Amino acid sequence: MTEPLLSVENLQTHFRTPDGVNRAVDGITFHVNAGETVAIVGESGCGKSVTSMSILRLIPEPPGKIAGAIKFEGRDLLKLSDKEMRKIRGNSISMIFQEPMTSLNPVLTVGRQIGETLRLHQGMSASDAEKKAIEMLELVGIPEPGRRVKEYPHQLSGGMRQRVMIAIALACNPKLLIADEPTTALDVTIQAQILDLMRDLKRRVGAAIVLITHDLGVVAEVAERVIVMYAGRKVEEAPVGKLFANPRHPYTRGLLGSVPKLGSSLTGHEERLAEIPGLVPSLKKKIDGCVFAGRCAEATDLCRAVAPALETKGPEHVAACHYALKEAAAA
Amino acid sequence: MWAYIVRRVVATIPVMAIVALFVFSLLYLAPGDPAAVIAGDQATPEDVERIRASLGLDRPFLVRFGEWAFRIVQGDLGVSIFTNLPVVTMIKQRVEPTLSLMVVTLCLALSIAIPMGVIAAWKQGTTIDRIVMGVAVLGFSVPVFVVGYLLAYTFALELDWLPVQGYTPLSEGIPYWLENLILPAVALGGVYIALIARITRASMLEVLSQDYVRTARAKGAGQTSILFVHALKNAAVPIVTVVGIGFAGLIGGAVVTESVFAIPGLGRLTVDAILRRDYPVIQGVVLLFSFVYVIVNLAIDILYTVFDPRIRY
Repeated sequence: MTEPLLSVENLQTHFRTPDGVNRAVDGITFHVNAGETVAIVGESGCGKSVTSMSILRLIPEPPGKIAGAIKFEGRDLLKLSDKEMRKIRGNSISMIFQEPMTSLNPVLTVGRQIGETLRLHQGMSASDAEKKAIEMLELVGIPEPGRRVKEYPHQLSGGMRQRVMIAIALACNPKLLIADEPTTALDVTIQAQILDLMRDLKRRVGAAIVLITHDLGVVAEVAERVIVMYAGRKVEEAPVGKLFANPRHPYTRGLLGSVPKLGSSLTGHEERLAEIPGLVPSLKKKIDGCVFAGRCAEATDLCRAVAPALETKGPEHVAACHYALKEAAAA
Repeated sequence: MWAYIVRRVVATIPVMAIVALFVFSLLYLAPGDPAAVIAGDQATPEDVERIRASLGLDRPFLVRFGEWAFRIVQGDLGVSIFTNLPVVTMIKQRVEPTLSLMVVTLCLALSIAIPMGVIAAWKQGTTIDRIVMGVAVLGFSVPVFVVGYLLAYTFALELDWLPVQGYTPLSEGIPYWLENLILPAVALGGVYIALIARITRASMLEVLSQDYVRTARAKGAGQTSILFVHALKNAAVPIVTVVGIGFAGLIGGAVVTESVFAIPGLGRLTVDAILRRDYPVIQGVVLLFSFVYVIVNLAIDILYTVFDPRIRY
């Protein structure tokens, strides 16, 4: 088997705060193959954004502290110098953020912001970078790119700004694109457009994508493999079809159950939307048992005492639950 | 853009008119009778009255203001009571040293204060930050004349690196010109530097926590580019505002600095004119300073739009 493009091993990102250490990411391991789309899902505060920012080392240290290993093309990113890291950021790994309204610099033109990565990583001249920026704007479907390239972010709509962010991220043909909730801040019709755009560009550029999201609809649309995170840990991982068809972890089942079905209140089969009771536990306390035990309807004393290990529950399917059935038994 | 500039320039006209009215009435209301001063101790009341009539001081306020303003618009600031020279000529003779002092101080302050503030913000909470801000507080609290004499004593008298005082015109060469201006500029710039450094730090701190700074980092931009390109341009509006406000203080400080370093500039001219109650000169100089201040503010309003494309009038 070929080596994966990215392999994250026992990643721990902790933040020192005045009232204790916040274990935002607490020992997560996963890999991404070249050209693959992997989704990381979980509710707010489960550590998915911190995971993605840790990969590019965008966590301010201190108060943050990243431990473990992040191997990208065989090199451990955590061991690189700042200068070597800068050569990777925006070049072979790039990132799209959640908030297109605030993620672009308001006082620099769109063209300059796209051109910046090209000038940094490919040593382009200002005029070449602008030409390429116009091409990129055209690629991400912005009309009149020649005019837009000279405009400032406040002159663009939210959807267009996210397209600009994508143009920035893809300008240097990255091998890995990390998209941190790229559609959350956009309205639904624009979300679909952006997802289509990402899928289309992925085919053309061939980049692997790590998609961070809490929107299972998005996951079903674009991901090939899904990692479910809860309280800073991975609780389940499976190919997307298997996960939706046969979720093993009670948390994953809860997530899937809490997706509203369109028109369900009109068809007469009105059901109350399932929710997961309770809140994500504080990440400042060391939890001995299963991290989800406090909110799990099926939790037993065993769950509260012993943390379940990630076990293989089927082909390419792992889950961390004492009671998750193996595929053979489930069938 | 140009329409905006023209509109702003036109808008300065009423401002200048009001300033002129204030300048004129301030002296009209000030205690002391110039006619009596000119007439001297031995004069009879009739002599004083005669001088007053010859100066036109016996006519109504508005009439005198109208005549005065009309002449000013034509570029005539009147004639000095003391030297009998036209005020415009006297100002022209004194304008170069003051202008030089202002420009050198401004350049010095900006080139020191902005990097200071940026670095302090970048290294927030560290020893570097505390040292920079400590120096700023010091610059804030020590008055110009104390700093001036200390500098002159240390660098001119003891170390003999720079001239003690005086002014060399620009026409004699930039090195000689600059040599005489360094100490006064440092003395005058202290408060200004402190002010700009503090606002730069505060403004940068706010900007550095913004999402677009994180984006810049994710793009692989270097620290210098993040600080001075991505962040500083966003932090510029408050900094430019303070630079403009501080410029008023610079005008006031120049009067003291010129006295300390014996620079024959407008500040000295002003002090001398006030001591002699040389009204036309006082009016001319104050009017000129106000005019400069109005122009500086105009420049700042225009700079806002340069730094922040979202600002449009």
